Amino acid sequence: MPHKGVARGETAVIAQMIVNGLLGGLIYVIMALGFTLIFGIMRIVNFAHGEFYMLGAVGVLVLFGNFGMNYFVAVVVAGLLTGALGVIAERVLFRSVVGEEMPGMIMSLGLSIILQSVVLLALGPEEQTVARPFSGIWRIAGAVVPWDRTVVSISAIIILVAFYIFLKFSRLGLAMQAVAQDPTTASLMGVESGTIYASAYGIACLLAGLGGALMAPIYTIGPYMGQSPMLKAFVVVVIGGLGSIPGAMLGGLLLGLTESVLATLMDSTTALIASFGVVLLVVLMRPNGLLGRTVR
Amino acid sequence: MKVRAVYALILLLAALPWFIGSRYIFHIATMITIMIPLVLGMHLMVRIGQLSLAHPAFWGLGAYASALLTMRLGMPPLLSLLVGAAVPSLVALAVGPIFLRIKGVFFVLLTFAFGEIVDLIFQEWTGLFGGNSGLYGIPKFSILGLRLTQIPHYYVLGLIAAILVYLLMRAIERSDVGAILESLNEDEMLSRSMGANALAWRVAAFVVSAFAAGISGGIYAFYIGFLSPDPFGFQTIVDLIVMVTVGGAGSVLGPVLGAIVTVPLPELLRDAREYQLMIYGVCLIGFMKFAKQGLISFIVDKRRGA
Amino acid sequence: MTAPLLVVDSLTRRFGGLVAASDVSFTVAPGEIFGIIGPNGAGKTTLFNVIAGHYRPTAGRVSFEGKDISGHAADEVGRRGIARTFQAVHIFKNETVRANLHRAAVLARRHNPLTWLSRRPHATPDLEGTAAFLGLDMLLDNVAGSLAYGLQKTVGVGLAMMVGPKLMLMDEPAAGLNPSEKIAAAALIRRLRDERGISVLLVEHDMPLVMGICDRILVLNQGMPIALGTPADVKSDKSVIDAYLGEDYEFA
Ligand SMILES: Nc1ncnc2c1ncn2[C@@H]1O[C@H](COP(=O)(O)OP(=O)(O)O)[C@@H](O)[C@H]1O
Ligand SMILES: [Mg+2]
Repeated sequence: MPHKGVARGETAVIAQMIVNGLLGGLIYVIMALGFTLIFGIMRIVNFAHGEFYMLGAVGVLVLFGNFGMNYFVAVVVAGLLTGALGVIAERVLFRSVVGEEMPGMIMSLGLSIILQSVVLLALGPEEQTVARPFSGIWRIAGAVVPWDRTVVSISAIIILVAFYIFLKFSRLGLAMQAVAQDPTTASLMGVESGTIYASAYGIACLLAGLGGALMAPIYTIGPYMGQSPMLKAFVVVVIGGLGSIPGAMLGGLLLGLTESVLATLMDSTTALIASFGVVLLVVLMRPNGLLGRTVR
Repeated sequence: MKVRAVYALILLLAALPWFIGSRYIFHIATMITIMIPLVLGMHLMVRIGQLSLAHPAFWGLGAYASALLTMRLGMPPLLSLLVGAAVPSLVALAVGPIFLRIKGVFFVLLTFAFGEIVDLIFQEWTGLFGGNSGLYGIPKFSILGLRLTQIPHYYVLGLIAAILVYLLMRAIERSDVGAILESLNEDEMLSRSMGANALAWRVAAFVVSAFAAGISGGIYAFYIGFLSPDPFGFQTIVDLIVMVTVGGAGSVLGPVLGAIVTVPLPELLRDAREYQLMIYGVCLIGFMKFAKQGLISFIVDKRRGA
Repeated sequence: MTAPLLVVDSLTRRFGGLVAASDVSFTVAPGEIFGIIGPNGAGKTTLFNVIAGHYRPTAGRVSFEGKDISGHAADEVGRRGIARTFQAVHIFKNETVRANLHRAAVLARRHNPLTWLSRRPHATPDLEGTAAFLGLDMLLDNVAGSLAYGLQKTVGVGLAMMVGPKLMLMDEPAAGLNPSEKIAAAALIRRLRDERGISVLLVEHDMPLVMGICDRILVLNQGMPIALGTPADVKSDKSVIDAYLGEDYEFA
């Protein structure tokens, strides 16, 4: 995690840990929501999720970095393009493996490495950067908050609210929720199951793309940049309960905070080992996740 | 009869390096034989319905253990190969009773996290494993006073190990044990009601599959003569999944075919990793879309496997 | 008076707030066919799952041949001589009938890798004999999943028989069968007892069948036992008629 141990004094250190945790956690939430949506509805562990994140970032690199489009417009366009690609991928590839755990994993792994190789061919192996559209910092309770992360977080919150409204108030959103709870209800909701699959995968990719697009100016951009966010999403979703939307929210923030605490207290390798250890423990103690349903 | 033809073809391919005589071909052939026990270990877990991402770590444990037993304790190479392969087995025996209560995607994530921890330990415990700069000076393999110095020597060693592990896995598949494992995979509740201790059998499969991975790791260590944590991470997981998918999980011969077809790829495309990724990806998607049972399904019918 | 084979003593099983089985007690004597009836959701399958070791009891005890087996794992219970059939068909659909029966024998005998070599294989019933007993002898080489539904259920009984049980738990063996198949199923259950000496604990909705073959019957309603006795006792029990059978229920 960036920005560690800047502030002095105990409250400042704690405040900084919380700020870093929330900043990181919000992006995990965005990634995990899509990941859990795809799993909940299609029973597919989407190993390609990180690549849609990466494509969102590449979109911003091209549109904002090369073509000089307005940053926010570039983010939205990159996200929409990624989402559209997701809809196509669902229709062409994933429709035939819905509900089959292992083929679904293998298919998404295949898509993941194809997308990596395409970007590798197009951009080359060097990591790229785009200029930061925002700079400077502000402080809260002694903690340093960079403006660019602030913008990312506010945008993330807006996206989350929009997603929430979609789920709670649109017919499609309600149908998707019902199917995620219980796959047999698809037909009961009067929405065709194909539509639900396409929109679930598409919206999940849209979220991942927006996440990557927002993060583009903050991290370096390259073909493999999606791997770590995908893993984080996987971890969050397992911790929060596969298919559980509140679980993904809680899990994302929890992972962000845990990482930030571990990174403050230990060196990065120990922190990494510890975080995998936490994952092992959670999976072993609560195999259905913290908020997962306990009965099949 | 088609199966016979495939066996004959494999034998022919196995003999090919001696006809060509190039070191490079011998190297690729050796790498194929080294990957076969590993992929067969992974395959045994796939057969019981558990996709284990811990196998590259088991492979690495076997490799480091064999190398260190010879280097530090002066154990004869053959002994350290066997004892070294027992190390991942013991680890599997220790974690198996906990891990194998967990199924499906949870098991996938669990074994992934486990593998990452092991790989991190390889990187960080520099005193023992040499860290990212690697472990140098692994002595040549020797057996009955015979020192293996040339690539073809290692090819023969790999071939013997691959054949033995293949025969072991085939014997398991065809025996009562194979029937038990398959029953547990197909209908656990039913199998348990008839008296089978599901967890114990799964752990046994895990232990055997870790041993196969360990053997493969040991030979790899002696052959390459140098170890770094690199090969024991995520890339090998992808390679193994590609091998099983391309070859087909339905029969023990499937992953062997998968290794033969897949292993030469990175060697041939050494300077063009992006194309290798592309080909891997297309293979995974193509087989999942059009031939879920892999190459082997074109050769043997599903009932009586090879 | 012979000692009972199975004793279920004040058994309770909850799922969260739901009490699926509440303070259920009964015994099954050797050679008895004991029926459990009750409307859907009464807790019959749950009771089976607890006895068979798939669920732990929340409270109460189960003992078999005088030994406490409450909370024992399903495979342990199976090895002690309690086999079961399932409400839905559970067989190895892709295998032949012969392979199905063979697998059952193997699973019963080779239950654990450690005892694999050392353990004296305990005798399992002869495969061909079992098939003949069930009338499956002509179908041994057919793929089980391709058989008619009724025959698939019969294969399920064959799997349970191959374990060599003393007690067989049968969950709705006649559900989904046509009238003539139901008659055959009833006859089969009797023959299991009479010719093979297997006691039977039976859950079934088909009243004529239950009333016709059971020695005693337990009636459950919403997890609670409301009557226990011979078919004649149960038929005339006021609370049973009120709670479950209803006025217009036809008895055979
Ligand atoms: N695994 C379970 N988790 C939660 N509730 C369950 C479970 N199994 C059964 N139940 C509940 O217990 C009650 C009894 O079910 P069951 O034993 O299947 O009834 P029956 O076999 O008599 O029709 C039902 O309300 C059912 O929903
Ligand atoms: Mg029932």
